[in-house]
Formats: sequence, C-alpha cells, structure tokens
Amino acid sequence: MTPFRPMLEALTRQRGVRASLIVSENDGLVVDSSLRFDQDGDRVAALAASMYRKARLSARAARLGAVAFLQLDAERGRVCAVGGRSDLVIVVVADPAANVGLIRVELFKALESLE
Amino acid sequence: MNIATVEPWVEAPLRRFVDDARARLALLLHPSGQVVAQAGFTREVDVMTACALAAASHATSGELGKRVDGHAFRSLHYTGPDRQLFLSPVNTARGAYICLTVFNGESSLGLVRMYFEELCHDLAAAAPPLPAAPRPTIAADFELDLNRNLAALFGREPAAT
Amino acid sequence: MADDIRGWSDELARDPSSLVFLQLGEALRRQGQIEIALKIALRGLDRHPQCAEAHDLIARIAVDRRDFPRAIEEWESVLSLEPDHIGAMKGLGYICFQQGRFDDAERFLSRAAAGGGGADVSNALEMVRRSSGNTTVWLPDSTPAVDPQRIFADLLLDDGQTALLLDANGYVLGGLYLDSLGDDVSQDIGAQLSGISDEVERSMRHLDIGNWRSIIFETQAAVVGMAPTIDDSLVVVAASRSTPLGLLRRVMDRCVERATGWLQTGRRS
Repeated sequence: MTPFRPMLEALTRQRGVRASLIVSENDGLVVDSSLRFDQDGDRVAALAASMYRKARLSARAARLGAVAFLQLDAERGRVCAVGGRSDLVIVVVADPAANVGLIRVELFKALESLE
Repeated sequence: MNIATVEPWVEAPLRRFVDDARARLALLLHPSGQVVAQAGFTREVDVMTACALAAASHATSGELGKRVDGHAFRSLHYTGPDRQLFLSPVNTARGAYICLTVFNGESSLGLVRMYFEELCHDLAAAAPPLPAAPRPTIAADFELDLNRNLAALFGREPAAT
Repeated sequence: MADDIRGWSDELARDPSSLVFLQLGEALRRQGQIEIALKIALRGLDRHPQCAEAHDLIARIAVDRRDFPRAIEEWESVLSLEPDHIGAMKGLGYICFQQGRFDDAERFLSRAAAGGGGADVSNALEMVRRSSGNTTVWLPDSTPAVDPQRIFADLLLDDGQTALLLDANGYVLGGLYLDSLGDDVSQDIGAQLSGISDEVERSMRHLDIGNWRSIIFETQAAVVGMAPTIDDSLVVVAASRSTPLGLLRRVMDRCVERATGWLQTGRRS
C-alpha cells in the first residue's frame, strides 16, 4: 500500500465518485488508485493525464498561467483533476450528479497533502 | 502520416494506432527482422536498420527475462531527451510480430500502451488465417523476402537475385 | 509589462510615498501575483489612508482572494471618500450579485450607470435584472449584437469576461479576446485553446461517459470554460480568477445558446 491510499480512499468515499487516482502527468501512468467496479484505471490515467497536460500547455501558450483545476463534464460522467508543482495529478471520475464543488475542495485538500 | 505495408490487412489498424497514439514512427516486423509495415519512415535504410535493431533488442530482452525471471520480458520502454520508444510483441493468427513505436511529448507511455492494446486486438481480428503449409525459411528466401518487402514499402523494383 | 513593473518598482524604491504603487499593485494583480500586490497596496494605503484609489485597489485584490467581506469594507470606504466612484459601485454590485442580493446589486449598478458607467455596467445591470426576473426595464444597448465581434457582448458581466466562438479548425468566428493591455489576441488564444477540445474528443471515445458538454479549468490568471456547439464549433469563455465557477458556467451556457442561434441563422441566410 502506498502512502497515497488513505487519501484516495477518502476521495472515492465521496458520493458519486467512481474512481480516484494519482497519475504521472508526463507518463500517463497510474501511481496509485482507488477504483469502484468497472473502472479501467490505466485508461483513465492515460487519458486524464493527457487532457490535463494539454490544458496546461495550451493555457501557458495562451499566457493564462499554470492550470490548477480541470473539470470535464460529459453526458454520463465527470472527470476532475488537480495538479501542482510536481508531475503528479490527482484525478477523480464521478457521476454527472455528484457534488463537483465538494469534490473540487477535497481535491485541493488532497493536493496540499501531496505536496 | 505516410504508411506502407507489405500485407494490406495491417494498414487500417496501424493507421488508427499511429493517429490515436500520436506516434512519430511505427514499425511492424517479424521476429526475424523482416518488415511488415512502417509508418513515418522516409528512407528504406532507416527501416532496415530499425528492423534489425528492434528484432535484436526484442530477442535480447526476451532471453534476459528468461534468465532472470524464468519468462521472456514482453515489452520494452526507453526514454531519450526528446523521444521515447516502446517495443512489444503482437500475436495474431498469422503468427507473432513485433511492434516498435517511437513517440515524443505529444503522447505518453500510458497512451501508447493503451492504444497498443487496441492495435493488438485489431490486428488479431483483421489477420487472415495462415496459409496451409508454409515453406521453411532459408537464408536465400529471407534475402528475397526482405528485398520484396522493402520494394513494396518504398515503391521500387525488387533487386535482382 | 515586465519593464513597466520594474520601472514602477524602482520608482517606489526611490520614493516610497509615490502614488505609483497604484499602478504597480494593479499590474501585479493582473499577473496573478496577488499576495505581493496586496503587500504593496497595504503599504501604499498606510501612507495615503485618504486615497480612494488605494482602497479600490485593495478591494479588487480582496475579490481575487475571495475575501468578499474585506472587498465590501474597502469599497464602502471608497464611497465614503468619493460618493460617485463608479468602480466601487460596480464592485459592490458585483459582490451583491455573487451573493444573490439582486436588489442591492441593481441599486449599486443603477447608480453606476446613472453616473456614466458605460456599456459594461449596462450589460451587468441587464444580467442582474434578468437573474432577478425583472426584465421589463429598457436598456439603451440591449438590442442583439450583429457584429460578429460583439455577439456575446451583452451576455458578459464585466470587463474581465470575454468569449470567443471558434470553428472546427480553431479559427475565430465571433467574439473578442482582449489582453490586459487591450490588444485583440482572439486568434492567438483561439488557436492555442482549441487544441484542448481535440484532446477531449479523443478521450471521450475511450472513457465511456458519452459526449462531452463542457470543460472548465482554473489557471493562475483566469477561469476558462469551453463547450461544443453545432457545426463542430467551440465556445470559449474566460473570466478573472475570482469569478465563481458556477457563474462562469451560467455565462458559458448563455454564450453557447447565443452561438447556436447565430450559427443557425448563418445557415439559413
């Protein structure tokens, strides 16, 4: 068990959260994860890290500064991600009806403990 | 991206793979080093060299795995300052192949591995059955096949043998 | 901008009582260096406690820090010093709107509009009235914009908000993006940000969560929302870092609705 596990399990206990992961932004690989059934951690990690990195690079090119929080809303789910100074990004996959405001707050708290 | 194949059924899965994974180069070859398809290469000499080195590298890591772990290592990943490579086998009804993928910062190892799984699935689904009685490969045949394959990939007349 | 900041810093070092702290603090705030901006503004206020602009600067920094009580306190100080200060009325209107106090927001913004607050105050007032259900009031610039650059102008709440409509290739179809110096950087920003939607499209094919509806991200300097609309077009809305994400979403939804209508009109004509 990695030291990240309690933090990830706390995130996954939030209502509507299907998966929480710590991923490497550059490699798109899972560092640790807490997944509910039917969640493919490798796939989520690769795609979420890629989206986050693209948003970070695009925002920097557009002179908007560093990206902290990202939220993608789709018909049947949401992906939220926060990153800080390191290569690590915390990713949450949630139901469309999940309280994204609360998830955002918890993600920033988790990021603080990560850094 | 420029894609050329010796076997036509390979083209669609390989094209999807390089597009999705945003690979810079891709090479599908027999474990013997014979090329099956290439994407992104512009000179045949590069293809020949890459095929030889990829086959050797795959054989080396497979053998090393057997020595230290009792099983052949499957995949290899190397990182350079700008580019990375991923080398892994693909199994189909036509036999085993090796796929060499070169990518840069536009992609990631996670994405390449994810799309590589789809490539394996797509190739396995697309591969026609093996011909009934394959000829044994001898050195002369290999040279002939190699020239024929390179001719198919780069559109020139096969060298006289 | 970096040269300006260096110049103002040097001047302030030479003469700590200089009013140049106002420009320096504002420039740092716009760059997202909120804490340094606050220190400079507070030091300036110590030397110039009766300077309304110093209170106004601290109020704007407080909004960036989401410290709304402090912002209200500072803008009230501004109004006690300069009762007709449009920036303070606009700021108080903004905070009241954020807090759902639509009547108070309307009161402040009406005063600002009457004092010559300009088009952005009128737009803000219109939005407040729409949000409070009071849409019967006539506004001089509430007619729909036909100039492509102004298709979203009446939907945006303040100067810090901006919206663009991009085509599938990342080219600007409508809207306007001005940088902190007032230069039009729409094409540049559009090209940079449209790549994100390609990445999202790819992810959607593999995440099994249906089609995407929007993506929002917070940066040091701004909050940005993007949403697809018809013809593979994309709406991009950006606002200051202090803008609540819920408000950004509402503005974005309205811009998507406007863009869809505008594109459909273009199809018919």
